[in-house]
Amino acid sequence: MTLFIQQLFNGVALGGVYCLAAIGLTLVFGVLRIPNLAHGSLYMLGAYVTYFFLTTVGVPYVAAIGIAALVLFVLGVLLERLVFHPLRNSPHTHHMIAAIGAMFFFQAVAQAIWGADFRRMETPLSGSLHILGAEISAQRIVIIVTAIVVLSLLTWFIKRSIHGQTIEAIEQDRTGAALVGINPAMVSMLTLGLSALLVTIAAGLVSPINLLSPTMGDSLNLKVFAIIILGGLGSLPGAIVGSFALAIAETMTSTYISSAVGEAVAFVVLVGVLAIKPTGLFAKAVQR
Amino acid sequence: MTSIPRRASRPVLAAAVIGTFALALGACGGGGGSGDSGGDESVVIGYTGPLSGGGAAYGENVQTGLQMAVDDLNKDGLEVDGKKVTIELKSLDDKYAPSTAASNAQRLADQDKAPVVVSPNAGAIKAIQQINDGRSKFMISAYTSDPAIVQSDNPLTMMIPPNFESYAKPFTEQGMKHGGKKLAFLGTQSEYGQQWTKAITDEWKKANGKIGADNSIDYATVSDFAGPVSKALSEKPDSIFVGGPSQPTALIMEEAKKQGFKGSFLVMDQAKLDEMATVTKLKNLTNSVGVLPVKEYKDPGTKDFLKHFAEVAGDKKVATSETALNYQSIAIIAKAMEVAGTTSDPEKIRAAVPDALSKVDDKYKVNGFPTEISDQGHLVNPDLDITYLNKDEKYMKVPVDQVSDTK
Amino acid sequence: MNALKNPRILGTLAVLLIIALTPVAFGDENYIMRVITIGLCSAIAVYGMNIILGFTGQLSLAQGGFFGIGAYAVGLLTTDFDWPFWQAFVVGVVGTSAIGYLSGLIALRTKDEYFAIFTMAIGFIIYLTISRWESVTHAHSGVNNVKFPEAGDIVDFSNPTAMFYLVFIILLASVYITYAIRRSSVGRTLLTIRTSEDLADAIGVNVGLSKQLAFAASAFFGGIGGGLYASVVGFIGPDAATVDKTFEFLMFILVGGMGTVAGPLVGTMIVTFLFELFQDFQAYRFIVLGPIIIALVIFAPRGIVGYLGGFIDKRARKRRIGSARKDGSAGANDSDQANGSTPARGSTGTDAAGRRGTAADTITTTEEEKK
Repeated sequence: MTLFIQQLFNGVALGGVYCLAAIGLTLVFGVLRIPNLAHGSLYMLGAYVTYFFLTTVGVPYVAAIGIAALVLFVLGVLLERLVFHPLRNSPHTHHMIAAIGAMFFFQAVAQAIWGADFRRMETPLSGSLHILGAEISAQRIVIIVTAIVVLSLLTWFIKRSIHGQTIEAIEQDRTGAALVGINPAMVSMLTLGLSALLVTIAAGLVSPINLLSPTMGDSLNLKVFAIIILGGLGSLPGAIVGSFALAIAETMTSTYISSAVGEAVAFVVLVGVLAIKPTGLFAKAVQR
Repeated sequence: MTSIPRRASRPVLAAAVIGTFALALGACGGGGGSGDSGGDESVVIGYTGPLSGGGAAYGENVQTGLQMAVDDLNKDGLEVDGKKVTIELKSLDDKYAPSTAASNAQRLADQDKAPVVVSPNAGAIKAIQQINDGRSKFMISAYTSDPAIVQSDNPLTMMIPPNFESYAKPFTEQGMKHGGKKLAFLGTQSEYGQQWTKAITDEWKKANGKIGADNSIDYATVSDFAGPVSKALSEKPDSIFVGGPSQPTALIMEEAKKQGFKGSFLVMDQAKLDEMATVTKLKNLTNSVGVLPVKEYKDPGTKDFLKHFAEVAGDKKVATSETALNYQSIAIIAKAMEVAGTTSDPEKIRAAVPDALSKVDDKYKVNGFPTEISDQGHLVNPDLDITYLNKDEKYMKVPVDQVSDTK
Repeated sequence: MNALKNPRILGTLAVLLIIALTPVAFGDENYIMRVITIGLCSAIAVYGMNIILGFTGQLSLAQGGFFGIGAYAVGLLTTDFDWPFWQAFVVGVVGTSAIGYLSGLIALRTKDEYFAIFTMAIGFIIYLTISRWESVTHAHSGVNNVKFPEAGDIVDFSNPTAMFYLVFIILLASVYITYAIRRSSVGRTLLTIRTSEDLADAIGVNVGLSKQLAFAASAFFGGIGGGLYASVVGFIGPDAATVDKTFEFLMFILVGGMGTVAGPLVGTMIVTFLFELFQDFQAYRFIVLGPIIIALVIFAPRGIVGYLGGFIDKRARKRRIGSARKDGSAGANDSDQANGSTPARGSTGTDAAGRRGTAADTITTTEEEKK
């Protein structure tokens, strides 16, 4: 029983990680209609930039994440301008390859600057909590709490703020939004910037419990794609539900079946769900 | 309206891009050829390893050792058959993919006329063994402790590190002595990790120990080690087998101690205890059995090597056996070239290795320098030690009886 | 013999001839022969991708997985089970096609991006199976000493040149099949699906079955490529089935030109050699290669062959305006080393696609003007 509770907590914390990474990706899909395969490498860069400000420059942890998030926001905007904007009329195969080119580039740059070695990011948060015999570290509690706070803020931003509403408008009807005076180019930049910002927050929180390396985004990338497809591309609630469902499924199957099954479960669940519901759990009415 | 200039510029740009390709192709055909220039002769030693991607740190460690050796040898001056020879290291990236490694090796042997190619990965070595003893001939300096590569009887293979199977018995004895009878597995899911798991399982059973479920995970893809560690600990083991790249291994051991584990660790040789201490406190790594750190070796050249390494790599990095053993092996190869009197005939160079071993300068002996090479091509040092890191954070030496390489 | 005056066909034949002659020039260069032969194996798999992606317009990312299944089938059957190569090869290819057909049953229920990522998941599951099912696939230890094809005493396939020609002949067959499909009613059916599934459905095309067959055909070529690859390299590890492999293929086809006959071959060869060339930069090569890849899809979105094809069309059109006399064979004389090719009647397809592209351009441009 203790094991179950312990793993449930671990699963929820992992879900928080996935969730922070997945919402940005699904936003980008909703607005730009592109599967951004470079998302994992933005996560990696976010972690390294946070590390740079925390360790090399020496600003406090939270400030380091904040500055890094802004840096990555700018980088996201640049990525949209330089790579995805020129491709806006091409089929999605071209985006995928361009994103892979960007991914190769980012990884090589990170390796050139910070080296191939694993690095560890220290966090000021230490200690842990004991609940019902389970041990859960402060860092993981912060991950769960931040995930909830960021999600609420994001929901508020999209529903209430004018910039956020333009995002939703474009998601729902691109032509209609353009007709009422929304600038799709601006919104695309904003969205990619926002997704880079969100994924940096995820990276800044997760790096202390794992290690930094130029390839740290690779494994996350595949899983996050499984999540947003499972939830329905472009759907925020889908991404949230998908993240926690897959994370808990992953932890539980590794615990009670085997670690090999745990690794594959995300994709098996994906295949199963899509076989029954080909547009994911929370499919939006997709405009073509 | 904006579309007009864009459309006009496109063909030009496209032509430029295609032109680049054409140039690239032309350069490709024209490229190659060995780089000997002027009076001095030069010889290329080839290296194919993971220099980008997940294994890049490992590949770079090996490369550092090779480069240090090449620099030192050139400084000393190498003379083969009466002529002064400069050694040149040429490295290519294979991203850990065996077939790419074999293509790279073929290229180094064909175009750069490298008589020796270094590879640090068992899969890659097996793929290279398909091509090094047929139409092209070159020697493989094989950095892997998997004995399968000498069991294949490839006449041009030289295996550098000790056979990992030798570790299974002393690891089991020490692990049980300092932990207990029940063992859990938390190693990495790589080829090598799986082989270790199997070897330790056999020995542990032979010693009447109890084996828990196999909780091996892929260290490279797991985002959070807490889950797998909780699971392994739920079986209440007395000892845990861990190991993969040093740094994630350190995190797993730290997490296990944090979750209250008090028993002993068996640390696979891929992870180096002193390198692990760069990401966590040494206190978190105690009560563990592992391979002996380079700095604990008492070879004549060890001290200078470590000093030199700190200059090259910075004092934050720890010199590991990947670096040290490859440093030694290049010195052996260079000496073998001298003995054989050729830089181009891999068969003669390989045949000269036994004689060369005793002639290598002391300064190149840094990490259990081998005294003999087996008939199958395995460098052996009869005095091999492992280490037990005790609760006082001291490395204790434990001698090892080495097993034979035959199946 | 009007076809021989068509610059596209001439171009394709020129490319094939150049490749066919490589052993004459580089027969002793083991490295170049190896890279080219492996490249040809990949090109066969890329031709499979061309059918599902280039013709039918469905982005399948399972191709690396199918390639891996083909490779492992031949690898395991010829070593652990000691089968002759040819038997293992046939079983491997049929098996891969069957797995392709079956996974297509589920995969093709999804569309567009869902299909792309769904097939990526299938590819990843195949990779996980190969890298984790140790008792059968030997996981990361790989499969060693895969057999060469047997040919009695006639040919010795352990000779790289002989192996090269075997792969080359099978590649020729793949090119021909692609050409034949493109010209046949099946090809036009697939192109209709690419243009609009609804339209195809409306004019009575069995969209589901056609897509299903196209997907199985792509797996078929993937299996052939993989099976030959296993024999060429002699040792295979799970890296033969990674998702990265799929992206490599995708890069080949995009650089060469989607939906063209020569594109997959041209793209594969150029990118393969580009990668080899940049090897000298070691870990830093992707700092250069990444932007090159991006620049290629932005500035040459139709690929090299597609671009040259467009160039030929333009010349032809100019000719027609200039002298209306012989528009049928226009452009035949100024082949301009036109490596590019789509078959004679393919120009209709390209035109259609081109017009589609233009239309899309216009729509978005106006859309943007409006803001």
